[in-house]
Amino acid sequence: MTAVPFTNSPPFKVQFDSSNQEFAISGSVRPRSVDEIVPSLTLLREAIDSVSGVFYLNVRRLSQMNNTAFHAFTHLLVDACQARPDMSFVVITSSVVGWTTQKFGRLSRIEPAIRVEEYDADFYPGQSFLEEGGFIPVLRTQTKMTWRHECNILPRHGMREGITMADICCGIGDFAALVQKEFKPARIVALDHSRSSLAYARQVAADFNIRGVEYIYGDASEMMFEDNQFDLVTCRHSLQIFDRPTLILREMYRICKPGGRVYITNEKISQCLGEPHGESIEWTYDELAKLFAHFKMDLEMGPKNRHYLMDAGFDDVRAESFMVTNLDGDPQDFADVIQAWEDTFAGEMSNKRGDSPEFVERFRRGFQDHIFAALHPKGYAGWPVWVASGRKPL
Amino acid sequence: MPPKTAHNNLAELDFRMMVQIDMEMTTFNSNWTHCDYISTYLARTVSHNRPDSVLFANLLSSALNELLEITFRTRHSGGTFGCSVSRRNHVDRIELTFTCGEDERRSFEHAVTRIQAGAVEAGAVEADYISSLSREVGPGRDMLLLELVVSYKAQVRFDTYDDSVKLVVDLPLGGLTH
Repeated sequence: MTAVPFTNSPPFKVQFDSSNQEFAISGSVRPRSVDEIVPSLTLLREAIDSVSGVFYLNVRRLSQMNNTAFHAFTHLLVDACQARPDMSFVVITSSVVGWTTQKFGRLSRIEPAIRVEEYDADFYPGQSFLEEGGFIPVLRTQTKMTWRHECNILPRHGMREGITMADICCGIGDFAALVQKEFKPARIVALDHSRSSLAYARQVAADFNIRGVEYIYGDASEMMFEDNQFDLVTCRHSLQIFDRPTLILREMYRICKPGGRVYITNEKISQCLGEPHGESIEWTYDELAKLFAHFKMDLEMGPKNRHYLMDAGFDDVRAESFMVTNLDGDPQDFADVIQAWEDTFAGEMSNKRGDSPEFVERFRRGFQDHIFAALHPKGYAGWPVWVASGRKPL
Repeated sequence: MPPKTAHNNLAELDFRMMVQIDMEMTTFNSNWTHCDYISTYLARTVSHNRPDSVLFANLLSSALNELLEITFRTRHSGGTFGCSVSRRNHVDRIELTFTCGEDERRSFEHAVTRIQAGAVEAGAVEADYISSLSREVGPGRDMLLLELVVSYKAQVRFDTYDDSVKLVVDLPLGGLTH
């Protein structure tokens, strides 16, 4: 891999990965003249000359490029199409940046050998199960149940009035809205990669006249925020449903201010419990952990929070846990959440894995027993959540 | 001496002023990075109450930077430079007031006239822009303005005054979300 740093224009970087035949441009490229980017153009020309077949131009982390640079880079690409008719060129964009897909896409009208692909179209494996339609009400109820605990826990992990904070993978944005109301941060941005969840969040904010939360579409593994911006970065119940959680943690570390904290919550779903019918409940949640693992999601991640944060470079790591139970508030809320879990997990997910009817019947029974325990006058039902935060070293 | 800039009073009645920067043209032209700094700063400053503030700031910064670069390249060192952003609903208006030579003034008028003529004929502006991409020479003033029309559905106006000119660009970016 070859990299060319730019002394006069540090905001951007180019590099060529010969094993993937991929030339990447990232950052902000705004030269006054083409002369300033000659080393990059030379590297691109040499990279194209050194490969055959498909050549990839990766601009998914390219936030800005002025027309001087755009013309120089793309003209080189168009020339290469004419000189190398045996090759095809794929420009990899991100839907987050907002302008690259359309602007680079016009090149295919000049040269059909140039094609544009948005890399993040199907990026989050768990998202499709959880974001659509029916699951949204239960997400609201879940947040209501966990908030009773977290509103007391958060101050121990860096939450205080007047901070700037980011909630990554904010989902339907209700946690950010509650934080805004309770802790009054100076600025709060809430980022998610689900358009439908963000649309819902913005509608709720408008309906309830919630001001001051910026709901932003973005890719948690490659955010468009600058380094060292936020006093507190939160990510709740999301690292566990991402197949590469370390990528998100690395980004959270990057955008956190030195001395600021990153706060995460995750579950160990196999430890959901209840009585009566404890054995049936235990079996179902053991199987639920395996079901998520089948789709490359680690719903057992909670107790690993501390390990992940330390590996990511944080110090002063603090970890604790809390148990959401049927005794916290209205037991029916707890029951509604479990019913939604059953509908989604023993429905669409189990079906997609190809589970037998016998398995699904037993699988569903555990959820129903959990609901029974939650609503039983002498019953007890619990859902444990693990919390941890780490400080970015000064 | 305070800078002298000409602002359109009628426009100010319609559009709510958000932020304005005035400086001597000599100062503005002293460093190329002013274009980047000013566009980034202003775009972020006016982004916070847009539905997707990061997307909005990125797009506005991109468009504003091109306009500032056009202004920078006029090479006229005298007079004053003004840059303002005002808003009406989903439209953000960028007004750049600056001094330029007579030939440059005619060039701006020609470019804007061409855009306005092309806008009448559907697709003509975009065809012009696509064609300009494959040219050997780098982007000219007309291409830069064409790109704003094609990429951002901008409306462009050019006003002349005794000692300065004003480029007015309306960008309908405010309602954008992903």
